[in-house]
Amino acid sequence: MSVQTPVSSRIDHALQNRRILITCGTGGVGKTTVSAALAVRAAQLGRKAVVITIDPAKRLATSLGLGNLGDQATDLSGALNDVLKTKGLPMLPTGGSLHAIMPDTKETFEGFIRSLTPSEAIARRVIRNPIFQIFSREFSGSNEYMAMQRLLGLQREGKFDLIILDTPPSRNTLALLDAPKLLARFFDERLIRWLVLPANKIVSAGMKKALGLLEKLTGGAFMTNLFEFAAALFEVRVQFSANLSKVTELLSERSTAFLLVAAPSRDTAPDAVHFVKSVHAHGFHFEGILVNRRLEHLGLCSDKAPTGTPPHVARAFEVISALQQRESLAMVDLIESIRQSNEMREEGSVPLCLSLPELARDVHSLSDLHEISLALERFNPA
Amino acid sequence: MAKSQTDNSQLKNALSRSLIFVSGKGGVGKTVVSQAIARALSRQPGKQKGKAKRVLWVTFEDPFRPAGELKEITPSLFELNCEAQTAFEEYTTMKIGIPTLTRILVQNSLVRYLAKAAPGIHELVLLGKVWYERTRWDHVVCDMPSTGYGLAMFQSTANFADLFRGGPIHHDAEAMLETFANGTECSQVIVSLPEEMPLRESLELRDFLTRLFPGNAPALIVNRRFPHDPEDPASGRPDEDLSPLARSPEEYARRRARLESLNLKIWKEAGVRPTELLYIPPSTEPPKADRIPDGIVEKLSSELQRLEVLPS
Repeated sequence: MSVQTPVSSRIDHALQNRRILITCGTGGVGKTTVSAALAVRAAQLGRKAVVITIDPAKRLATSLGLGNLGDQATDLSGALNDVLKTKGLPMLPTGGSLHAIMPDTKETFEGFIRSLTPSEAIARRVIRNPIFQIFSREFSGSNEYMAMQRLLGLQREGKFDLIILDTPPSRNTLALLDAPKLLARFFDERLIRWLVLPANKIVSAGMKKALGLLEKLTGGAFMTNLFEFAAALFEVRVQFSANLSKVTELLSERSTAFLLVAAPSRDTAPDAVHFVKSVHAHGFHFEGILVNRRLEHLGLCSDKAPTGTPPHVARAFEVISALQQRESLAMVDLIESIRQSNEMREEGSVPLCLSLPELARDVHSLSDLHEISLALERFNPA
Repeated sequence: MAKSQTDNSQLKNALSRSLIFVSGKGGVGKTVVSQAIARALSRQPGKQKGKAKRVLWVTFEDPFRPAGELKEITPSLFELNCEAQTAFEEYTTMKIGIPTLTRILVQNSLVRYLAKAAPGIHELVLLGKVWYERTRWDHVVCDMPSTGYGLAMFQSTANFADLFRGGPIHHDAEAMLETFANGTECSQVIVSLPEEMPLRESLELRDFLTRLFPGNAPALIVNRRFPHDPEDPASGRPDEDLSPLARSPEEYARRRARLESLNLKIWKEAGVRPTELLYIPPSTEPPKADRIPDGIVEKLSSELQRLEVLPS
C-alpha cells in the first residue's frame, strides 16, 4: 500500500478481509458506537455484517433496533437503505447487509451449561446450586466468556461474512483475553479431583485437617454446596476444555483480529503497548488502535476567553483547551510508542491508527451511525 | 429554573459516617473522588484538641501497589491496598488463634484454590478487612471496584449471612451486614458522570444497595459536570436535528452542556438530587502507574470544602 493511501482505506481493507473483529477498550470510550459504525461501513462494502453488543446505551440500542432484548439477529439492511436513499446515496451493494444482536448473557450461560452436561438432571443440579448461582451472576469473567461462546456459535452458523464483537464494558481492557484462563482456574482438575473422588476419603492427614478447619470457618452448608458444585464441574470438565480450545483456536485464526478503542488521554500509549503485547502473547492478531472522542476538529481553543465572556463559557474554554493539550500529547506519545515498540509492528507492518471525533450529542439513529462511518474517511486522510 | 436540582445535604450526611463506600461504573472517577474525600476529611479537626481526624483510604487489589501495603501519606491520612490472600491469613489467624493450625490451613493448596476460586469467599474477606478497620480510624473511605464487582462484594456478604448457616464466617457476615445497614455508622456514595450509561447504571446500583440496606439510602454525585449556564432556556432539549458533530469550541461547549442537562433528567425523573462536582481540567502530566496526579485530588478536595459537605 502506498504512503498516499488514506488511512481509512486500511480499515476498509480489514472490514473486507477479516471475518471477526473484536473491539476492546475501557468503559466510556465509545466502543459500542464505534463497533456499530464499523458494521455500517462493512455493509456498504458489500459484507454481510453483524455487530454483537452486550450492553448498549438505551438511545444507541434503539437506533440499532434493539429496543427490546434481541437475542436473535435483527436485520437493519432495509432501514439502512432508507437512510442512504434519504441522503441521496447509492443503496447497499449486492451481498451487503447489516444485522445487530444483543445476547441475553444469563440465558446463554445456562444454555452453555446445558450444552456441556450429559443429562438435563445434571444440568438442573448445577444451575440450582446456590454457589453456581452466585458464580453465574457475579463472576467477573463470565460475561466475557459468554460473548466468545456466542461468537463461536455464530461462526459455526456461517450466516455472516463479518462479525464485529463489541466486548463487555470493563475497567481492564484485557478482561476478555484473560476470561478463559480465569474460568479454567475453576476447572483445575487436580484440585477438583480432591473434592469429588472417593479417593479424598483417604487423603493425607494434612489435607483432612485443612478441610476440617475450613468447614469450621465456613459452616457445613457452604461446604456441602461447594462439594456439589465441584462434583458438577468435574462432570463437565472434559467438555469445557474441548470448548475452550475451540474458542482459542477461533481467536487465533488469521481472519480474527483485535481493535483497541481508546480515549485521547496519556494513559493510552502505555495501555496500547501492554494490550498489543498481551494480544501477541496469546497468539492472536492485532488490527490497530482507534482513538475516539478527539476534539481536534473543533479548532484550537484558547484557555483565555475574550473579556466579557460569561464565566461558564470561560470555564468551558479552559476545560476544552486542557483536553486538547492532553490530546495532542497523547497522540505524540502514541506515535512514539508505535515507532519504538517492535511489538506494535506485527510482521513488520505499522499498525492501523485511526481517529474519530467526540460527538456533541448521543447517537440517535442509523443515520447518525452512517455519519460516523463517513467520519472514518474525513478524519483519517493520507 | 424554580427549584435547584442539586442538594448537598445527602452527601454531607454520608461523609459524617465512619465507614464510607464510594462506588460507581468504571471510568467515572471513583478513585479521584474517594481520594479527595479522604484528603478533605483528614484535614478536619479530630476529637483530640489540635489534632486532625485520622483517615484510612482503601483500594482493593490494585496491581500497581504492593499487596496489603499500608502507606502513610500525611500523619492523619493513610492508604491501604486491601488484598484477599493477606486479609484471609489475618482473618484465619484471628479466628483459629493457633499459629500451627493457621499455617496448615492457609498453606494448603486446596484451601488456597478455594479461597481464590470459590465465588464469595474472596469478596467477603476483602469487605471483612475494612469492616474490621473501621473501629481503628475516624473515617475509612473505600474506593470500591467498578459496579458489577463492587455489588458482588455486598452480595457475597448477604449470601453468607442467608444461605450458609453455621460457622464464624456466617456470624461475622451477619454482623457486617448490620453495620452496613446502620445509617449512623456507614454510608454509600455513588459517583457518576453526566452521561446516559453511568447515570442509568447508578440508579440500578442505588436500587440494589437500597434493597440490601433499607433505610440507609446512598448519596449520589455527578462528577465532571461540564461548565454550564443554569439559566439556559434550551437546557436539556435534545438537538436531534443537528449534526452529531460540533464545528467550534463555542458550539461544542453549548451543546455538551445541554446534552448533560438532558442526560441528568434521567436522575431528576427518578427523584435524585445529587451533588455536582465541577469538571477539573485534566492534567497533562505523563501517567504514573495508576496514580492520580496530586493536583487534581487537591482541587477536588478544595471543591468539597467549598460545597460545605464536610462534617464539622
